[in-house]
Amino acid sequence: MTYIIRRLFQVIPVLIIVSFLVFLFVYLSGDPVALMLPEDASQAEIENMRKVLGLDKPFIVQYGIFLLNAVNGDFGQSFIYKQEALGIVLERLPATFELMIASIIVSTIIAIPLGVWSAIRRNTFVDLFISSSSILGKAMPNFWLGMMLVLLFSVTLQLLPVSGKGTIYHLILPAITAGTAMAAQLTRMLRSHMIEVLSQDYIRTARSKGLGSFVIIFKHALRNSMLPVITIIALQISTLVGGALITETVFSWPGLGQLIIQAIHARDMAVVQACVLVIAVFVIVVNLLADLLYRVVDPRIKYN
Amino acid sequence: MLKSIKVFTLIFLVVVLVACNGGQSSTSTSSGSTNEEAGQNSNEVEESNNEEDRTLVIGIPTDIKSFDIHDHNQIITEAVHINIFSYLLKRDKEMEVQPDLVKDYKVIDDEVWEFDLKEGVTFHNGDVLTANDVKFTLERVAKDEALTEHSRLKVIKEVKVLDDHKFQIITDGPQPTLINLLSRIGSGILPQKYIEENGWDHFLSNPIGSGAFKFVEWRRDDRIILEPYENYYGGNIQDVDQVVFRVVPEVMTRINELITGGVDIVTDLTPDDITRIEDAEGVSATSAPSQRVALLGIQHREGYVTSDPKVREAIELAIDNEAITEHVLKGEATPTRTRVTPGNFGSNPDLFNTQLYDIERAKQLLQEAGYPNGVDITLTVPSDRYLKSKEVNETIAAMLKQAGINVNVQFVEYSRFVEMRNTGDFGDLYFAAYGNSLFDGSIALEEFATETGKERAGYENQEIADLWNEAHTNMNTQVRSKQYQKIQEIVAEERPHLYLYLQNEVYGTSDKVNFTPRTDSMIVIEDFIQ
Repeated sequence: MTYIIRRLFQVIPVLIIVSFLVFLFVYLSGDPVALMLPEDASQAEIENMRKVLGLDKPFIVQYGIFLLNAVNGDFGQSFIYKQEALGIVLERLPATFELMIASIIVSTIIAIPLGVWSAIRRNTFVDLFISSSSILGKAMPNFWLGMMLVLLFSVTLQLLPVSGKGTIYHLILPAITAGTAMAAQLTRMLRSHMIEVLSQDYIRTARSKGLGSFVIIFKHALRNSMLPVITIIALQISTLVGGALITETVFSWPGLGQLIIQAIHARDMAVVQACVLVIAVFVIVVNLLADLLYRVVDPRIKYN
Repeated sequence: MLKSIKVFTLIFLVVVLVACNGGQSSTSTSSGSTNEEAGQNSNEVEESNNEEDRTLVIGIPTDIKSFDIHDHNQIITEAVHINIFSYLLKRDKEMEVQPDLVKDYKVIDDEVWEFDLKEGVTFHNGDVLTANDVKFTLERVAKDEALTEHSRLKVIKEVKVLDDHKFQIITDGPQPTLINLLSRIGSGILPQKYIEENGWDHFLSNPIGSGAFKFVEWRRDDRIILEPYENYYGGNIQDVDQVVFRVVPEVMTRINELITGGVDIVTDLTPDDITRIEDAEGVSATSAPSQRVALLGIQHREGYVTSDPKVREAIELAIDNEAITEHVLKGEATPTRTRVTPGNFGSNPDLFNTQLYDIERAKQLLQEAGYPNGVDITLTVPSDRYLKSKEVNETIAAMLKQAGINVNVQFVEYSRFVEMRNTGDFGDLYFAAYGNSLFDGSIALEEFATETGKERAGYENQEIADLWNEAHTNMNTQVRSKQYQKIQEIVAEERPHLYLYLQNEVYGTSDKVNFTPRTDSMIVIEDFIQ
């Protein structure tokens, strides 16, 4: 418990540093007003709007105002949407989580059997086939894979919707697209750890006790190979919540990734900040959960 | 080994079969529910390939910004708003301004316009639209400096309500473009009572207007759902039960949605997409001239080679605009030497659909200017902002090289570009493409008559300033038109801007929809759905 509280307190300086860096980068990247006004707006019109929005103040003053408001839970108003930035960000979270969970399910369903199978059939055709497929899965650009899946399953076979969010069927292709690279990485990681575990003494002992292969592999070996799997899933969750941007764009999925990229394009500081801080909190929490899960999987791990 | 392969094959087949079965049930389920419940959920909404489907789905590249009609400055947002909020005056399919909410209007004197509203117009909540709503709407934008449309509509000094249906607009000096201002982006009329009772935030998430369609739902970055308003003063729309604007950012996905029947109309395609659409069955590509003119801004400050009129002329003569429009833009553009194109008040037809291309004369001019061995110049282009800007500008650079002008093309991020352009730090040339939703020469020519031209390119011309200032407040339309035409002649001669082409907007449509694109890029559903 003390460990959890200490970890949660560490969040505060991380968030302040993240917010400062984001503010600095967005500030340096350009002027939002140029994007808000008509294309041929004069410099005087631009200056006037900058003044109205408080963007004429020095950087440090702008950041100070932001930080003071943020402490009170107010991330400010979106320049684009003219609404509370945090509300806009939280509105997208369900879609992001939906895609994230589906991708993890897809990748886990693919990776665990293939990783285990590849390990127990080490150096056979199956192993070679699975390993090669993993490399292919990792190497395939998301954009290309998504487009190919759409062309095959939606345009040619007309089995699944092309894009959008609605039913479970809308989720299949985006989940496969986002989950494939993750599955490939997981498969390879699981294979190598399973091979290592399978050569351990306690596996030999289990075999000599007469335990069945299924029990040895899935109860003893797989559980002890799960630590790297948890690490990778935790890392991937962080990536996915930050925006499976390409997948979201190809499939018109209304998640956080699309929002953050639009906000960056429009220099919508409040929304960018709210997005990044929500993602940062989420990443920290997921990493904490992963650390706690290590202990469940391997009781020898202790946190002081 | 053989056993493993068999097991693997079996698993693979099971997965494929499950996927196939799932997909089939998806299609049949959605088709069925579409007929019965007319669009209760997204899946129903998308099944436009069903013959009895009464949902029109339009694929757009970005989401709307908000329902604040005065604070977006975005064509896509207005294309949605225009179906919800009625204007006082609206452009028809031929771009002629027609009375919409008003019955009639007259000019009382140079600064006073009197309008008569139609009777029996109601907002979507049943409230009657009165002159007070007009006053509330127009004075809001005229007074609030933070609104993007303020800079255009601040010319409205006051709206005087005479009775429930009669009002006067008092302008700040004579405003010959008032009618244009009231029929462009942000011209909807807001419901005063509804907003004052419920608050602005409530209005933004539950907007009501008096247009042909009422708001049902907005799922950000996903879709906006509208339904016909049964008491619409222009006649109830009966051919559709719902209209859905679906956000589909990726152009290939928009096309795939069109081909598979997921959407009925898609906007913002490129000329390169036309072939793919034409090759597919049941869909076609269609285009119309937009209001967007591509141009090169030319540096006039001393110290730059382009300050020499001969070099500027050589640049124009070296660019084969017809080749650019024909080959790079696949015929989806028209060469022009003016930004005030036909359909805009004050356009000069002699400067449209023409070019001065003459490479030999360009070389000669360069020699006369004192550059027999060629000259180096810089062209600044905003990246990823305008249609095929990379290809167009690389082609321009290649064309200029043939005349002995070596162009260093620098692509920069858009907001950086705006800063470089506005402070004159763009080098010798910059590329841009400007729209004109006012349909009047004043906006297009304003830059050369004000400080803006001087700030950007060091260009000033007193004759243009005098002509523009007179035209800007001239209520005599014939004289004003001639004044604009004269300015265009001077601009074509002195080249503070070198105009390239008027670009088309390309759309894809299902053959079941009788959609004709408009020059103002709006999607007015009542134009093609009864």
